[in-house]
Amino acid sequence: MLRDSHHTGVAYGKFDHYRLIDEIRILPSNESPTEPALGIEEGGIYSAEALALARYFMFSQVYYHPIRLIYDRHLKDFLAEWLAKGDLFTGGTFSTKIEEHLHTTDNEVNAALLLAARNLNAAGHDSACRIVERKHFHVLYERNPSDIVLHSNPGEVIASAAAKQFGEKAIRYSKPKIKDTATDFPVKTRDGRIAPAISVSHVLAKLKPAAIDYVFIDPELLRTAEKWLAEERKKILEVAAKEEQEGDRK
Amino acid sequence: MNPTLRLAVFALLDKEMNNHGSWCGETHLQKATFVLQELLGAKTGYDFILYKYGPFSFEVRDDISLMRANGLIDVIVRDPQYGPSYVPTPFAEVFLQRFPKTVEAHHAQAKFVAENLGSKNVSDLERIATALFIRKRSKVKSRERRAEELVRLKPHISGPDALQATKDVDVLAERSKALVMHAHG
Repeated sequence: MLRDSHHTGVAYGKFDHYRLIDEIRILPSNESPTEPALGIEEGGIYSAEALALARYFMFSQVYYHPIRLIYDRHLKDFLAEWLAKGDLFTGGTFSTKIEEHLHTTDNEVNAALLLAARNLNAAGHDSACRIVERKHFHVLYERNPSDIVLHSNPGEVIASAAAKQFGEKAIRYSKPKIKDTATDFPVKTRDGRIAPAISVSHVLAKLKPAAIDYVFIDPELLRTAEKWLAEERKKILEVAAKEEQEGDRK
Repeated sequence: MNPTLRLAVFALLDKEMNNHGSWCGETHLQKATFVLQELLGAKTGYDFILYKYGPFSFEVRDDISLMRANGLIDVIVRDPQYGPSYVPTPFAEVFLQRFPKTVEAHHAQAKFVAENLGSKNVSDLERIATALFIRKRSKVKSRERRAEELVRLKPHISGPDALQATKDVDVLAERSKALVMHAHG
């Protein structure tokens, strides 16, 4: 995280790792007092809080930033089309043979990206252009806690409705895996007792994993789609909520 | 079972375990889910491996995170001497009301698991769940041989405790038969 924070130029990922390392101890586990677990002395709890917060911010602001996610998606789309052509490997995928795999580098992919972006008829031309010329899809919808009350997967529902309205090719949906923050570690308090970290720290007790959910759209359709979504969102979610319940009854 | 219905079954199990006095830490939920799936035939589709404290599923851990992120469960400290507990939020009840058929189909099963495991501690659950793992995955049929296998896999469990856990699992399996048949229609 310190490396990523430094090289992305954001301060979110920084925390006092020297203090944290100084305070790390092998302590009895919260689950079973006869089992050892990695914990900390109480003096290190603020550094542990800073680590947990840094991790939370790095995931929500860097690793799962919408622009990073959509570039990931454009790259996947490009690779799928480019590899399917079979110029690099037969079989339409990357090689699973170790030697061949190790001989494939970023250079081959970057060169193919540039060639595809310059050639209208090349496989993966559209995705390559979006990366090379920075014409990436834009965020149409992001998860909102009030929508969760209506439907369990609002992003998926909006993506599906938007794909029907604007076409499959104009919509991308991204729901990265939730990364929880490990807060279940033992802490040795100043009076020598062992306690779970969340009973010592109110910050850790309140820190929830962040669920991230984005629907992206072709930038040329963004304005129209935003207007459409503002008018239709509630109705889409309500119809989907009804279908969700009916699906349960089938 | 789709991921949303699976989450509903998990939320129901968490609610029942709490109602029946379980500590409801992660280990309790892991073992209860294992028993619900493997003994009572709930089609939750979690992939379990034999881990440090017995059967464990990384997918169950992911679903715990998902339930926290979606506001279905909260983490609380019942006693600072022990690990945290996962308790249902008021929204969990609203969520469960969306899936009446799934709740109805799994209610008796979840209640059975909670009634039988709710009072167990982590060590009890490790023994019982591992004994069930052996019963389901091993070709060994005799109770004594399964108890020996349990000691081989978990050397800190004594022979008499292993034999008792194996016997407890056989009793549970016998008592759950009607529910398993009901679950399969």
